[in-house]
Amino acid sequence: MPTTQAPLGAQQEGDSAVVTGRAGRWRAYLPVAVTAAVLTALPLLLGGERYYIDLATLALVYAGYAVGFNIIFGNTNQLFLCMGAFAGVGAYGTAVLGNELGLPMPVGVAISVCVTAAFGATFSLVSVRRRLDVIFVGIVTLTFSLVFINLLLGQREFTGGETGMILDYDPGPVGERGLVSYFIFLVVLIAFLTIYRWVQRSYIGWAFRALRDDELAAELSGIDVARYKMIAGAMGSAMVGLVGALYAHYEGFFSPTTFELGQVDVPVLVMLAFGGIGSLLGPVVGATVFTVVDAVLRPLAQLRTAVYGVILLVLFLGFRNGVVPTINDLARWLARRRAPRS
Amino acid sequence: MAVVLDGIAYGLQLALLAVGLTMIYGLGGVLNLAHGQFAVVTAISAALLMGNGMPTLPAVILGVLAGAVLALVIDGSIMRPVYRLHGENRVLLSLLITIGVAFVIDGLLIYNYPFTALNLGVSGPAINLLGVPMRRGSLAASLLALVALAALIVFLRYTRRGKAVRSIIEDEEGAMLCGINPSRVRTAVFALSGGLAGIAAVAEGMTSSLSATDGLNLTILALIVTVVGGLGSVAGALLAGLLLGIVYSLATFYIGAYVTFIILLVTAMVTILVRPSGLMGRGA
Repeated sequence: MPTTQAPLGAQQEGDSAVVTGRAGRWRAYLPVAVTAAVLTALPLLLGGERYYIDLATLALVYAGYAVGFNIIFGNTNQLFLCMGAFAGVGAYGTAVLGNELGLPMPVGVAISVCVTAAFGATFSLVSVRRRLDVIFVGIVTLTFSLVFINLLLGQREFTGGETGMILDYDPGPVGERGLVSYFIFLVVLIAFLTIYRWVQRSYIGWAFRALRDDELAAELSGIDVARYKMIAGAMGSAMVGLVGALYAHYEGFFSPTTFELGQVDVPVLVMLAFGGIGSLLGPVVGATVFTVVDAVLRPLAQLRTAVYGVILLVLFLGFRNGVVPTINDLARWLARRRAPRS
Repeated sequence: MAVVLDGIAYGLQLALLAVGLTMIYGLGGVLNLAHGQFAVVTAISAALLMGNGMPTLPAVILGVLAGAVLALVIDGSIMRPVYRLHGENRVLLSLLITIGVAFVIDGLLIYNYPFTALNLGVSGPAINLLGVPMRRGSLAASLLALVALAALIVFLRYTRRGKAVRSIIEDEEGAMLCGINPSRVRTAVFALSGGLAGIAAVAEGMTSSLSATDGLNLTILALIVTVVGGLGSVAGALLAGLLLGIVYSLATFYIGAYVTFIILLVTAMVTILVRPSGLMGRGA
């Protein structure tokens, strides 16, 4: 399928910022380090007030989801509309294993994350083998989400149905809330970003860029498209599953609504579109801005949905590149102007 | 038998809901995820007009017009950048944009009219059909759906404009070479699909009720039917609507409502995986 135009602002970032070779090695991880430093200092800046810490934690959760989705959609152009469901698989998997079998939480999380990764890889494999267009991948994963949510509602004895799920066991340090939870999610996010950058700079990243730009050309130059799409699918899904599991234990109580399309997939899409699809820090910027806007708009109740719709429209009609790539472009432009012309 | 007839009645409504969606896809390469919201706009405006004392018939007609006009406005404004893209990118951007539209409509309607619902409540004693008593509401709804679908088929088969529509679905470039303006036909069909969604809303209002929160559900139902019938195929949407309606009604009767929805979803999923072009699609 030949792509004439890059759809949603396909990354200028991918090509210039990912300098391979020795000189660029440490510079490439600089944004991750800066993000880590800023987010570590954030609780101090917020004055340690509980409401703000909770809000910041929520932003980290969303950023984690968004990084996972960014790998799948932003890097390999697979429109997985089941991020909420995958987060739910992580959460409900861990909880059911803990409640019914009494498995310790880390084991439950590990198993559920593996299951999520397997789901992701399967979807990727099937969509490549069946040669599904982006749109059909979207529809299949969307139906998967709906089936999953309905199964959760139906299997009351395991999941508590719509009333929600209560954990019979101690959720461990994630459940302590406050600063402890914040830093756990921060470590997870920084790990994700490091992995993301590492992947971008490795041969996997080259394959991702090649197949995103032109799948057929990539296939012809000897890239195993199915394999790399599966890698992306598994990796991104595992991240989402992990964050979902941790978030569920952080909240201590969750219901199918927690993982609905409107609660996970749509916000993540908005965040990514805002921050910049395919960029390293786009998910973090997007998640932060989204969480703040969401908190500010809370008094509007249902009107919030309409505001999000407008934001989505403006983003996709106006700034298809997202904020981070736009700023990158601007910085590069300024640098070029300052540099002496030869 | 009664269950099957109920299923057919419901299937006609499903088909009516889906034809609009499938036509826009076939014609414009646009997947409209705000389709259910067009129906809701019709329902709410008709209900509001009736609440202000307007008789049912003109209120309903104005409501359907509202759905069509809304579609027209959306086609003429925010869908313009979408049409500048081609192929897969166009579908993708259209999907994202119409999600935005759906959110705006949902947010505004649910906020402003949380309790308004279109409830036409066609009541009266049941009518015997083939020895089976049928509710008046579902008979009226089926009749409306039948008339609307028949009109649509006549339009597509026998009028000049309808033939233009079919020729574009067949081959956009070829149609252009024959002097058909795809952009104008597309606008007309967008409005038509808005109107069809509106009529589907009216039919729904005759059997049960329709409120501001139902948009997403309607879109999903339409999407399932469209996918099973083959994206872009009008005949496929009709057939799939009827089949799924019967499946729905049988499953609800024998198994229960919650499994039924899952069955419908899984049918759509399996269709995409096994035969992506749907029941009536050409080739794979």
